[in-house]
Formats: sequence, structure tokens, C-alpha cells
Amino acid sequence: MKLEALKHFLPWFTLLVLVTIIGIANPAFFDPAGLIGLVADIVPLFIMALGMTFVIYIGGIDLSVQQVANLVTVITTVYLANFGMGVAVICILVGFLFGAFSGFITTRLFVPSFVSTLAMGFVALSSARYLSGERALSMDTTLRNENFGWIFGNTAGIPHELAIAGVLLFLAWFLQTRTTFGRALKAVGSGELAAVASGLKVDRIKILAFGISGTLAAIAGLMFSVKLSGGDAHIANGFLLLSIVAVLVGGTPLTGGVGGVINTVVGTLIVLVIRVAMVYLEIDATQQQLVFGVVLIAAIALTIDRSKLRGVVK
Amino acid sequence: MYELRKVDKKFPGVHALKAVDFTVNRGEIVGLVGENGAGKSTLMKVIYGAYQADGGTVTIDQKVVRFHNPRQAMDHGIGMVFQEQSLIANLSVMENIFLGYEAQFVKSGIINWGAMAKAAKEQLAKVKLDVDPATTTSKLSFVQRQLVELAKVLTLEERVDGDLVVLLDEPTSVLAREEVELLFELVRELTKRASFIFVSHRMEEVLELSDRIYVMKDGEIVDVVEQADADIRAIQHKMVGRDVDTQYYREDQQKPYSEEKLVSCHSVSLGQRYKDISFDLHRGEVLSLVGTEGSGREAILRTIFGLNCPTSGHVEIKGEQISKFNARTSVGKGIGYVPRERKIEGIVSGMSVYENMTLSQMQSYSSAGVLNTAAEKSLAREWIERLGIKTPNEFKDCGGLSGGNQQKVVLAKWRSGGSDIILLDHPTRGLDIGAKEDVYDMVREMSSQGVGILLVADTLEEAIGLSHTIIVIKDGMFCKRFDGKPGGKPSLFDLVHHMI
Repeated sequence: MKLEALKHFLPWFTLLVLVTIIGIANPAFFDPAGLIGLVADIVPLFIMALGMTFVIYIGGIDLSVQQVANLVTVITTVYLANFGMGVAVICILVGFLFGAFSGFITTRLFVPSFVSTLAMGFVALSSARYLSGERALSMDTTLRNENFGWIFGNTAGIPHELAIAGVLLFLAWFLQTRTTFGRALKAVGSGELAAVASGLKVDRIKILAFGISGTLAAIAGLMFSVKLSGGDAHIANGFLLLSIVAVLVGGTPLTGGVGGVINTVVGTLIVLVIRVAMVYLEIDATQQQLVFGVVLIAAIALTIDRSKLRGVVK
Repeated sequence: MYELRKVDKKFPGVHALKAVDFTVNRGEIVGLVGENGAGKSTLMKVIYGAYQADGGTVTIDQKVVRFHNPRQAMDHGIGMVFQEQSLIANLSVMENIFLGYEAQFVKSGIINWGAMAKAAKEQLAKVKLDVDPATTTSKLSFVQRQLVELAKVLTLEERVDGDLVVLLDEPTSVLAREEVELLFELVRELTKRASFIFVSHRMEEVLELSDRIYVMKDGEIVDVVEQADADIRAIQHKMVGRDVDTQYYREDQQKPYSEEKLVSCHSVSLGQRYKDISFDLHRGEVLSLVGTEGSGREAILRTIFGLNCPTSGHVEIKGEQISKFNARTSVGKGIGYVPRERKIEGIVSGMSVYENMTLSQMQSYSSAGVLNTAAEKSLAREWIERLGIKTPNEFKDCGGLSGGNQQKVVLAKWRSGGSDIILLDHPTRGLDIGAKEDVYDMVREMSSQGVGILLVADTLEEAIGLSHTIIVIKDGMFCKRFDGKPGGKPSLFDLVHHMI
């Protein structure tokens, strides 16, 4: 088999090797209840990475996801009393608008997405700080349980969080593989100029991809906020790096066009396993981001499609 | 002094240079002419070290040399003045002149700008250009930049033992007549310092300047003429060479076209790219735009497809005036574009054959945004069969197909969607003979089915063989219209005469 074909299986292989190593070091890792708990814990990150996948799939990046999630935790906490469950609608709308606006800036003003989303991230951060009054806010526990308690229930041993992740994954997978929109995303990611010359509305497709990223970041923020029963402008910090790592180690390269949402499932699981391993290996919390930084560089170097870069990297 | 003997260069599928002999004597100006694709640029790249010859020898003063890159060629006194200028716009004139050779002005890691300016001044004096060496290059006029480029090459004089050979690639293409005169005067004077190889589309200029002229065709030197014996007509005949084989282009299958207008251009202009272009394309007509490289033909095609918006004039498609120029609108009106950059704009590499075929018409293969993949695949199988596309199946990555088969996929994309106006931009570029013939067949077939075809062909023979109508475009302007009915087709010479 050719090297290129092997690359396709690299994420699965990595996951398998890591799981095996941990399993040997600590057989208790395979305890079903413990595993389910671990996986359920990583659901907000997964949802954020799922959204990020769409943007990276078209060859862009969304650096605003963490700040959008932060903002949403604040919005949820502040407005839960006023709107009840309706606050979820507001959050999703805010997330979509942030993403779509980044997409608008990218496509209409020709600002590269890494700058437009970085800038929009700061807009979200400021909004969150203003809205929270620079304080860590907490929710009224009764209100939370009344409106969003269902998120943390269990049905037949399956945490509802996992079910939500499953539903979103199915929707994202369907969108990517079965719809004209998904096909258009692939065309934009693989060969944008040919997509334009085929008459696709490339700008609209890109804006929508950023909108999806923002929406899913908002859902992640909402879950986070409910889980921690509060919100502040920094509560989701650290998620940006991890969500990018999850997408890239999963096998969706920065150059876009290949990979997709299933790859992000694998990527997120790899992130989870690395985290667990670091706990076993007693790696200090201060060094964990260093590990992920290194993993990120390795993942990009391994997956990026150099033929698309035409020798220019800036 | 500088000599190529039996130099050969092959690319996959193309024999670009066939046993080329080429000599430059001291102080001589050598002209090099040939059609697009005759091998001029390959030959130049071999000379200045960008390509390595596969066979034959290169000698300088009887010594065999071999260059692995342009820098080595420069160290042997061979410099290139590029058509697309190679100066870096935001550096100063002197920085550009000594780019890569700053070491001579460096003392303990610091550049002595004064010394560099003084040296640059001396170089600029050689080309009689009086500008401050510290000027930012982008502030100079085009001619001035060209002279700086020449001065940069002439720095080799001090750096290299032995003689200089300077290549001038289309140096006059954007110069006004007086500027050309000045440049020629300067080049003649500079023959004290260097020999020149002058490449140009403009035959009169080559004849005026060159001591000797090499004529290239299909990778071979077909003639060498001295200036005294040179005759434009004779050289043009040599350049285009053989007679056209009418069978090759299926001329017997050429059918008359109908009166129905598909595309009408009314005095359309796009900035400096082309001006005041008017023509009608009828149902079943093949209309060729011919002209030299850079004459603006491709830009006209791209305007009609909506990829660029004209600055004045208007375009009617099927009787309706286009108000918004974008590809989406054009596709909706039944226009299909087969671009020259097949791998970049034609197909999406990384997507399968069937995904490529339906890319422009996904709405016909979906309901409520959900794709009907089974229908897509059956369409792809039908067209793979119909056009004889060589692919194991419809799932194969389109980027892995050969050029000819990729071209068929692009055509299938438009034809299967019912496009009846097809814009062909160099549809046979880079294809081998068999694949070219397939494309000719398809052009004929589409024309007889009532498709209007606007063609920018790779060679003049193609344009003549395939077209009902030929329009010559020169420097972005309408120059001459020829009727191309079988039996009454213009000759190559008629066309070349108006093009250059």
C-alpha cells in the first residue's frame, strides 16, 4: 500500500496504539462505566471540534470558538431566569451570527479567516466581560435543573450528553456526506477555483461553514455552562487549542478537502486518551498544554497537503 | 563562443527540443522566433540554467559546461532579462541590482550603502538610466524597470571572466514605439559588452535588431537566416510549416450554422485588457478568437462566462442582456467554460469523476438539498461510455486521470447539464495527438447538435480547421474577421499577417 493511502489510517492507528499502551499500563482504563464517564466528559470539546471541522474542511480556521463559548456561558447564566429554556435559542443564534459574520469578513473583505475569527473572538471576549461585569456568575440551581437538568440524565446507562453528541454527529455527518451543501464544501476545500468556475455560490457556502462552527461552539458553551452551573468570560479557555488538535490529529488537514466529521470523532478520542495518559504519567497540569502544542505541530506537519501550498507558507 | 550542440529536452509526452544546434558569437545579436509552443521558452530555460538538457552539449569557448541552476549560468556570464520582470517592487533600485550579491559591500556584517549606491550608479550608467539608486523600484516606469533589469544582468561583466550572453525575452511587448527605438539603440551599443539573444513575437522588430535569426517549429530549428537575407513572409511560412491536413480536423463534417444568436457582444471593453470588442455567436457556430499570447482573447472568454466584469459595453446571452457578471448566472444561462488551467479551474482534484460531473448541476440531482447519489452515478457511467473516458469506474479521483480524460470529464459536466454555449480556452493544451483528435471530434459533434462554441485554440491550424468564423484580435482590439467555411478557409499566413 502506498504511503498516501496509509496516511488515511494514521489517526485510527494512533488511537489504537495509545489505547493499547494505556490499557497495558492500567487495565482499569477499560472499565465500561469509567470509560463512558470519560467520554461523556469530553462532549463539549467534541461539539466544538465538530463545528471547527467544517471550517478547516474548506481550508479555513476558526480561532473564535473558545471566546464564543465563553460569551455563551455568560449569556446563559444571565438570561436563564428571564427566558428559561428559550435562552438556548438565543445562544445558538448568537453563535451562528458570530461565525457567519467572521465568514462575511473573510469572503467579502478578503481578510484571511485566521485574522477575522481572531478579531471576532476578541469582540466576543469583550462582550462576555461587559455582560458578566468581570465576575464569575453562577446559576440558580433550581432553575438550572428545571430547564436543563435533562442534559445530565442517564437512560439505560447512556448519559444524555453522549446522546446529544451522537445526534449532532449524525446531523453533521449527514450534512457533509449526503447534501449538496456538503459536496460544495468538499469542492471549495479541494479546489475552490474550480468550484467558482462551476457556478457554485462559494461565498455563501463559506459563510455558512463559519456559521455552523459558531453555532456548535455556542452549543458547547451552553453545555459547559449548565454543567458548571455558571458562566464567566474565561471559563472555556484552553478549549481552542484542544479543538484544533482534535480536528487535525483526526486527519482533516489545514489545507482542507479531505477528512471530515468522522475523523474528528477519532481526533477527539485521541485528545481524550492523551489527557488520561498525562494523568497516569503524572504530568503536571502546567505542562499539559505544552504536550498538546507539540502534538498540534506534529499533526499539522504530518497531514498538510504540500502540493496545495505551492511552496509558499507564511 | 557560446554553442549548443544537438541539445535535446523531453517532458512527459512532449519532445520539447529536438537536437537543437544554436550558436552565439561575440558581440552578436541573435533573434529567436517561433509560434507558441514551438519550444522557444524551453530553449531559453536550458540556456539560462532553469532546465537541464537531456542530451547534447553546451560549450562556452569550446569548454563543455553544465548548469544546474540559473546562478551557475550567471557565474558563466549568462543572464536573463525576464518578460515578467523579476525585480522586487518594494526594494530600492540598488538592492535589486545587487540582490544575492551584497557580500561585496559587507564589512563586519554591515552593508555599506554608500559603496553600493556608487556601484549601482556605475551599472545604471551602462544603460543610460539616470535615477537615484535608492529609489524604490515600484516608483519607476515600466521602461525604467526594464533598464534596471538589464543593468542588473550587466553586473555580470565585472563579476565574470569571459564574455556575456544576455537573453531578452519579449522585451518590447509593452513598450511604445519610441521606447522600442531607444532600447534597440542601447542594445546595439551594448554589443561591445555582451552578446544578445532576442526573443519576440514582433517579426519586424526581430528583423530590425538581429544579426542572425533562428526560426523554431515543433522543438526544432527549421531555419537560420542572416539579417541581409531575411524576408518576413519566408520566415512566417517556415514558422507555421506544414500544410493543414483537413481530414485531421474533420472539416468534411463541418455543417452550416443557424441564424439564432446565442451570444452578442456590443463594444465590450475591459480596462487595458481588451477594447471595443463586438461579435455574435450563433447556434451551431464555432467561432475562434486568434491572436498572440497576451492579445486579450482569454479575458474575453472569461468576461462572457462572468468571471470578470467588463468596464464598458454590454453582453447579451440568448437575447437577454447580462446585468450581473458572475459564473452562477452564466451557468444558469447554459454557458459552460472549459478553462486552460484544467487542473485548477476545470476539475476538482480529490473529488471523484461523478462528483466532478454533477458539480455545476447538483440541484438537478438532489431534492431539498439531499443528493441522489445513485442518479449521479448512473449519469457518470452514461457519459464515461459516451465519451470513452478511460477510468476504471466513476468513483476514481478525477485528479488521477490523464489530461485528455480530465478534459472529457469537464466537457461531460457541461454537456450533461444541457449547456449549449461552450467556451473553450486552449482545450487541447498539453494533450497528446490521440486525445487532441478526440477533442476535435467532440467540438464537431457539439456544433452539429446546435451548440455555439467560442474557441481560443492552442494553434492556428486548430482554429482554422475547426471554425466557421475566425476573428483576429491584436493588442486587445478587433483586427480582422475571416469566414471559415470549408473550401474558403483563410491560410495560416493570412492570419499570422494580421496577428503580428
